[in-house]
Amino acid sequence: MSKHAITLIVNGDEYTLNVPANRTLLEALREDVGLTDAKYGCGTGECGACTVLVDGTRAINACLTLAVAMDGKEITTAAGLAMDGVLHPVQQAFADKAAVQCGYCTPGMVLKTISLLAQNANPTEQEIRKGLEGNICRCTGYAKIVDAVQQAARTMNAETPARRAAGGNA
Amino acid sequence: MSTRILPEFDLLAPQSVTEALDLLATYKDRVTVMAGGTDVLVAMKSRFRTETVMILSGISGMDYIEYDATAGLRIGALATVGQLLDHADVKKKYRALWEAADIFATPQLRNTATVVGNLLRASPAGDCSCAIYAIGGKLLLQSKTGRREVDVDDLWLSYGVTARMANELAVELLLPAVGKDTRTAFQRVTRVNEDLAKLNMAVRLDMSGKICKTARVAMGCVGPTPRRLTGIEGQLEGREITEAVLQKAADTVASEISPIDDIRSTAEYRRDVAGVFLRRTIQQACAGAR
Amino acid sequence: MSNETVIGKNVRKVDIVDKLTGAAQYAADLKMPGMLYGKIVRCWEHAHARVKKLDLSQAVKHPGVVKVLGPKDVTQKKYNASVLDLMVSESMHDMLGDIEDQPILGDYVKHQGDAICAIIAKSEEAAERAAEKVIVEYEPLPVYLTADESCKPGAVQFTPLKQGNRAFQLPEPMFPKHVLGWGDVDAAMKEADLVVEDEFYTPKQKQCQMEPHAYIAKYDANGNLTCWTSTQMPKCVQAKLSRLFEVPMNRMHIIQTTVGGGFGCRLGLVSEPQICALAMAVPGRPVKLLTLREEDWVISPSRHPGKYWMRMGFKKDGTPVFCDAYFRNYKGGYYLDASGVAFTAGAWLGGMYRFGALRYRGESYFTNQGITGAFRGYGNPQTNFVLEQIVDRACAQLGIDPVEWRRKWHKDVGDDGWCPGVPYTSCALDECLDKGAAAIGWKEKRAKYAHQTGVKQRGVGVAVMNHTSGAMPMLLEHTNCTVKLNEDATAIVTLACSDMGQGSHTALQQVAAEALGFPLEDVQLKGGDMDITGFDIGAHASRTLYVGGAAIKMACDEARKQLFARAAKHLGVTPDDLEMKNKVISVKNRPEKSVDVKTITRLGVYHFVDPMTGKPEGEPGQIVASVSYFPQRNSPPFGASYAEVEVDTETGEVKVLHLVNAHDIGRAIHPAAVEGQLEGGIQQGLGNVLTEEIYYDKDGHVRNNSFTDYKMYGPSDMPKITTILVENPDPFGPFGAKSVGESGLVSPIGAVANAIFHATGVQVTDAPITPEKLLKAIKGKQGARKAAA
Repeated sequence: MSKHAITLIVNGDEYTLNVPANRTLLEALREDVGLTDAKYGCGTGECGACTVLVDGTRAINACLTLAVAMDGKEITTAAGLAMDGVLHPVQQAFADKAAVQCGYCTPGMVLKTISLLAQNANPTEQEIRKGLEGNICRCTGYAKIVDAVQQAARTMNAETPARRAAGGNA
Repeated sequence: MSTRILPEFDLLAPQSVTEALDLLATYKDRVTVMAGGTDVLVAMKSRFRTETVMILSGISGMDYIEYDATAGLRIGALATVGQLLDHADVKKKYRALWEAADIFATPQLRNTATVVGNLLRASPAGDCSCAIYAIGGKLLLQSKTGRREVDVDDLWLSYGVTARMANELAVELLLPAVGKDTRTAFQRVTRVNEDLAKLNMAVRLDMSGKICKTARVAMGCVGPTPRRLTGIEGQLEGREITEAVLQKAADTVASEISPIDDIRSTAEYRRDVAGVFLRRTIQQACAGAR
Repeated sequence: MSNETVIGKNVRKVDIVDKLTGAAQYAADLKMPGMLYGKIVRCWEHAHARVKKLDLSQAVKHPGVVKVLGPKDVTQKKYNASVLDLMVSESMHDMLGDIEDQPILGDYVKHQGDAICAIIAKSEEAAERAAEKVIVEYEPLPVYLTADESCKPGAVQFTPLKQGNRAFQLPEPMFPKHVLGWGDVDAAMKEADLVVEDEFYTPKQKQCQMEPHAYIAKYDANGNLTCWTSTQMPKCVQAKLSRLFEVPMNRMHIIQTTVGGGFGCRLGLVSEPQICALAMAVPGRPVKLLTLREEDWVISPSRHPGKYWMRMGFKKDGTPVFCDAYFRNYKGGYYLDASGVAFTAGAWLGGMYRFGALRYRGESYFTNQGITGAFRGYGNPQTNFVLEQIVDRACAQLGIDPVEWRRKWHKDVGDDGWCPGVPYTSCALDECLDKGAAAIGWKEKRAKYAHQTGVKQRGVGVAVMNHTSGAMPMLLEHTNCTVKLNEDATAIVTLACSDMGQGSHTALQQVAAEALGFPLEDVQLKGGDMDITGFDIGAHASRTLYVGGAAIKMACDEARKQLFARAAKHLGVTPDDLEMKNKVISVKNRPEKSVDVKTITRLGVYHFVDPMTGKPEGEPGQIVASVSYFPQRNSPPFGASYAEVEVDTETGEVKVLHLVNAHDIGRAIHPAAVEGQLEGGIQQGLGNVLTEEIYYDKDGHVRNNSFTDYKMYGPSDMPKITTILVENPDPFGPFGAKSVGESGLVSPIGAVANAIFHATGVQVTDAPITPEKLLKAIKGKQGARKAAA
């Protein structure tokens, strides 16, 4: 099997890896980079527990992505969101709304929300629900998650100018 | 039994179309071409085995979607389903395709899966495939020895098999330009919203006033590959789409399809509701969507 | 209630930040030095077969393989993955007939996915590739997928211990004539003006917890066997593994990792026997076992499917003169808790309405399906689907409003609950029915939807349920709690009760803080390590807050008593004279006469005798309180659900527009967590009634063992949800709280089925109610109407 030298920029840190052809991005993150917040849930791109962001806002299934195909890309995982101990507004909204139960879907759900709000800063409830398809939660019935996304949208819209001024990424 | 870790393979990562064509000429059917990879990787975790995989992600400039009023819509081999949604001309002029893209799989998969890959999967359930079949189009295949166009009507040979030859790379999908008298619509029937189709269908009606000049009707999950329903098309063409015409189409569609029982539905149900959904899809098209 | 400062508040859940940032460690996230990887080789080809030949020679040679284990290389003792045997007195074992019939690795395949052998390798990849090189030859046996097939004379017997492949029926000494119930059904039948009867099928549903099963185990040179697992029953798993591997309890260590959902599928052993057997084969090396999503369908139990026949008799005024029922459920290839659901389905039935007479029979039969066992609701979803539809059919024929009928005939305080002889202690079901009816617009919509034309038809339906808070007195409900006050006046509570995501550790910490009178941040709950915590039966039967919370309250009350006794001595008064505010204990109405809690706790630990005066400083000893708690009741929660649906009569498609879950939960300790339980329950209930079922082909292969093929309601499928918490404090629950863990999913099932009935006039007796089945039923009714005309 062929091996490939690749570079991944994960949560702002650069990793130079030598991965076999069959390494998925999920395995590269969990085994090579050592970040376990992206989870294996189904392996077939249905559940979204492995969701990560590429280039800041594009959500993908890390379990269905070859690590080699991500050479040179910026990857964001849930572990890279909180800054100096301050939760990302999406994480804060999930905490405020108790939108987390077993937590296994949570990192993916949070990242998916960031991706969703990047595309649509003022989504309707229906747009939120449709946008969250591809991230399965078996605990919450999605009710509190939808509440949290709505709250996150509100706070992020209010905060955006301030965050921009502070140089943070909204 | 699936595996958690993908089976072994050698990976080819060409950086240009020329390089990819060279590799195809060498490896021929020993290489599996992967664009988004969302179908291939799932298959490889299950039973599918291949010696060599060629990924196209290193080739730049193939992820375009461009509309031109005379040439039509050009979709590069690496354009994702998600890109269709962001394209104003697709939304406005190729409504059936936009609607198919809108409910296609999940946002993550739409960000990865390619439109051309959906065609080449040759699945009877492909949503974009169904819409494209109704709209009509040509797939541009390139090899070291030349280029050729395959009409989407001639693309699917049988389940999972296409007219693409082993040394050819699908580089572009071209959809014809559509005028203001073209109406298209797409509908899908599923168990829950995020699901593969139990039944999908798309229609393209080219109208002249109230009269339907030409019609293309495609239906998925009713045979080994997506189906054109030429009998239905004949019933619509040259006529005003009246309630009686719609009813006749709905009543006769069952004779044009050969669905099976599977995990998502039954042959009986598919036959029972194909007409209902066909009627609704045609009505939706007539209602003004393009 | 008004003096309470911590409970009833939506405090930040204790585990939420770790879960949001990805810091929470699930078993699959753990890595250890020298770790090896295991892979269980399963039989995917057959659902019933004997292994004729097992050839491991190629697998052994695969690079990276450390060891390959066949069936003979592990202990030959068998086990029962369920833990019911630990929950009943040993004297009852013979009567119930519980058996241990599961081998760790075997040569007799009883269902697809049965474990044959195992690989230990240096990497997961090597283990998976080597597994592909195992060669097995099978002798196929006839496949039985239903009780009707497996009980036939001449059928292959799954075990010599169970004749006719009947795993269980209600045992004679406890249930005369194998019947649960009361009164004389045959006599009552003669009094009935209307008899409604039908046979139903309730589906095999999968828990689909998001975290696939994952483990690490290690066996060391001193005979310590340690297993990291996300089981919901850590103490029972410890006891079972200790017995299976003959490792004493003090060397059998269970570390519970973050539980990524349970819903019953981790109620007992899953693959702990396999991972421990692997670890024992390579002493000194930790072994990790990760599983595929599709393995979940064959290694952990699913909901019992089965045929459920019911006949109910009514007088013209609606009086339910009798109920006659027979639930014949399908086990998989192994026994597990065959005695459980066959009983409880009848128990929930008996606990619901004041039938003049009840005759319930429950039986479990072996089949070659995947194993069945605990799943949130435990027999209640099955009963709800059947009972609530029968009631509505009768109401329709008698012209009685279904809400009024339920209000009149549901059991209430003082009536026997699900367990005969244990009466209901509180019941606010009427309030649930009223508030739910108002929320859905019952009266208006029932009238409005009665006469509809057009393709899309709407309907509203109601259903009610009772459940339980712990399973006392049927099953052991024992827990232990220790509260320790540190010298800095913070508290550590140790308790083995699991938090599977339901928020129980948050709520339990709230109970502790409230009882101690401490701020929440000064109290920490420790579970997880079974060497530190006392015994606890585990997370089952919706008991964690009810039983664990009561134990915590008792221990904290005791610790507070000790604290006050010392403060009284310090201040020279009696404890009754004292009150505590902001962790300062003072004499009532004399705030200047006070002592800081920290002073007391510090002087208890750092206790010295003044060398100058010879006087001791304060009272010696750390304040610690422990209780071993056995609840006296099972304070059942009640619920009423209302559903509004829209049915496409041309396609049979059902859209749930609104689902109201009104629940009598006694008291909400953490209201958002309680709502979360009810909302999540709705998602699983809607799946049960509308989309979710495991299908097998005729050879016993699972046809939908992936999220591609097994479909649950997603975010955009979910209806508008209204959760209504009815607070009617129970005299026995901690601060009045009753359970909520399982019950949320139960009555949405009946409510949706009844709403479909209201919309279309047809009942589908075979769940889930798919468009395929509903369309057929609608067409059947239209055909019958045409024929009549």
